[in-house]
Amino acid sequence: MAVLECKALTKNYGHTAALDGVDFIIEPGRIVGLLGPNGSGKTTLIKLANGLLTPTSGEILVCGIAPGKESHALVSYLPERTSIPTWMTTNQLLDFYQDFYADFRRDAAEEMLQHLNIQPKQQIKQMSKGTREKVQLIVTMSRAAKLYLLDEPIGGVDPATRDYILSTIIGNYDPEAAVVISTHLISDVEKVLDDVIFINQGRVMLQSSVDQIREEKGMSVDELFREVFKC
Amino acid sequence: MLRKLLKHEFRATGRIMLPLYLILLATSIGANFSTRGLLETDLKVLDLLGGLLVMAFAVAIIAVCVMSMVVMVQRFYKNLLQDEGYVMMTLPVSVHQQVWSKLIVSAVWFALTIVMVCLAGLIMAVDIDILEGIGEVFHEIFQHVTAYYALNGTAIAAEFLVVCFLGCCAMCLHFYTALAIGHSFSGHKMAWSVAWYFIIQFAVQFVGGMLVVLLDESWLHHLLLGWTDSWKISGMAAVHFGMCVLIVGELVYGAVFYLLTTYFLKRRLNLE
Amino acid sequence: MKWQFSNDAPIYTQLIEQIKVGIVVGAFPPGERLPSVRDLATEAGVNPNTMQRALAELERDGLVFSQRTAGRFVTEDKTMIEKAKRGLAERHIKTFLAAMLRLGYQPEDIVTLLRQETSEEGSANGGSGM
Repeated sequence: MAVLECKALTKNYGHTAALDGVDFIIEPGRIVGLLGPNGSGKTTLIKLANGLLTPTSGEILVCGIAPGKESHALVSYLPERTSIPTWMTTNQLLDFYQDFYADFRRDAAEEMLQHLNIQPKQQIKQMSKGTREKVQLIVTMSRAAKLYLLDEPIGGVDPATRDYILSTIIGNYDPEAAVVISTHLISDVEKVLDDVIFINQGRVMLQSSVDQIREEKGMSVDELFREVFKC
Repeated sequence: MLRKLLKHEFRATGRIMLPLYLILLATSIGANFSTRGLLETDLKVLDLLGGLLVMAFAVAIIAVCVMSMVVMVQRFYKNLLQDEGYVMMTLPVSVHQQVWSKLIVSAVWFALTIVMVCLAGLIMAVDIDILEGIGEVFHEIFQHVTAYYALNGTAIAAEFLVVCFLGCCAMCLHFYTALAIGHSFSGHKMAWSVAWYFIIQFAVQFVGGMLVVLLDESWLHHLLLGWTDSWKISGMAAVHFGMCVLIVGELVYGAVFYLLTTYFLKRRLNLE
Repeated sequence: MKWQFSNDAPIYTQLIEQIKVGIVVGAFPPGERLPSVRDLATEAGVNPNTMQRALAELERDGLVFSQRTAGRFVTEDKTMIEKAKRGLAERHIKTFLAAMLRLGYQPEDIVTLLRQETSEEGSANGGSGM
């Protein structure tokens, strides 16, 4: 069964359409890049999948069910902005995730925190912006979810951390689960992706596998993106 | 899941409220020393110290009351409608559980605040004749009122507590509704929330006023008159009836707010 | 092993090539077990499905074989590895020749140039006193 499915999905903000008749299916075991320029509708799509927005028309389904408290148990979401409660210490945050998500792997989280030298007793408030982002990424990736929705996971971090994040995504690979990465830093994520979905002005422009693009067009996804979205 | 939400909600708010209660109790002890002698000494320094201690006590009482309101509003809008909303609104819990957890925790803090303020007052007045005096006065009032109106004091007190509790919950929900509606706008969310608070306030008063006007001389009025005439209902029963009407009214009022809040959180959520 | 990728070819074909090189130069010795797909993918920083596809292709060519439970192994057949080495060499020579022809060299000039270059390299190595 598809992990994420959009059927004629439309979302309007007032009179402007943020998403306009989006159709696609994401199967388990795939790592998918949701690529598009700023304001193309990537974040709107991910918010709809998380039930943070309600579709104007059409449908979005996570493992066959509409977004709600049942689907939240299956989705691990990394929002584009850091949103973990900052008054907690890292340890308290792990308690929090452990309480609410049955699939939370605390040992995996602790190992990653140690690897990145993050103190479990430090209050998140006292951390740098970059470290907070890392903490949120760690708790997101430490769940054994069916669908990971990562909104700009590598936007604000240094190249070394970027590599660590991508290798975490690869190391966490589960043939039963799908990962959706929204980003505009394509050259960094390209090698990690199975498929890409190009989205512009609320419409899907292309859905294809990375190797198919390279085989057929003789260029990288990054190059194709630059060509398609040339200003 | 509601239990877990409540647990984390208490953790998040307790770290603010509990120290405040401690401070309040500490200042009440200070005020106790002060009233027991510091204020009557001839030493200027001690006199001044006594005054300051009493003032600190007053400030602490105000602070605790204000903070329990601030915490109630803050927890709702910071935790659900701002950045933290991304985490909270994607937990595997329903919007109803979210609202209930906020409501229950706020109500508990309000109740505890009242208890703490009373306790602090007792501590301040301990060993002082005023305290016994106050106790006696209350007891006497209670007895006299009970005897005079032949009313069931306990029942009235219980009803009064329910009215207070529901009123308190309805007030929280009034804030929640205003915040939830205000934050469904794409800009000036806080300004809209304040505006909606007053719009709702106005609407409630308008509806209340209309009800009074409409019910006067209506079938209900006559029905009530008929009741009192035919069944010879005592004044006492009328008080109970009035309390029940008040309770039902508060329930309706709270339920409308609750429905509005959950609708806007579920359908019109618009996190930045 | 160092993994590097260019933009013009599918990633899985580049993976095949680089694993072949690894086998030929002995980074993956004959008969040895290969790391798991996940570990190889993490090391190369590529998608596990792509790595899987590359390994399946290598398996079809016979350079690696899998044992149901124990995982994937490099072939022990030395001639097979030799053949792969030869194949890689031919590929390099073809690209090289194409580039030289584009520059306008005739095949015999290329041979002369190559001979000069290799003897220089040899004397340079000899001169170092190794």
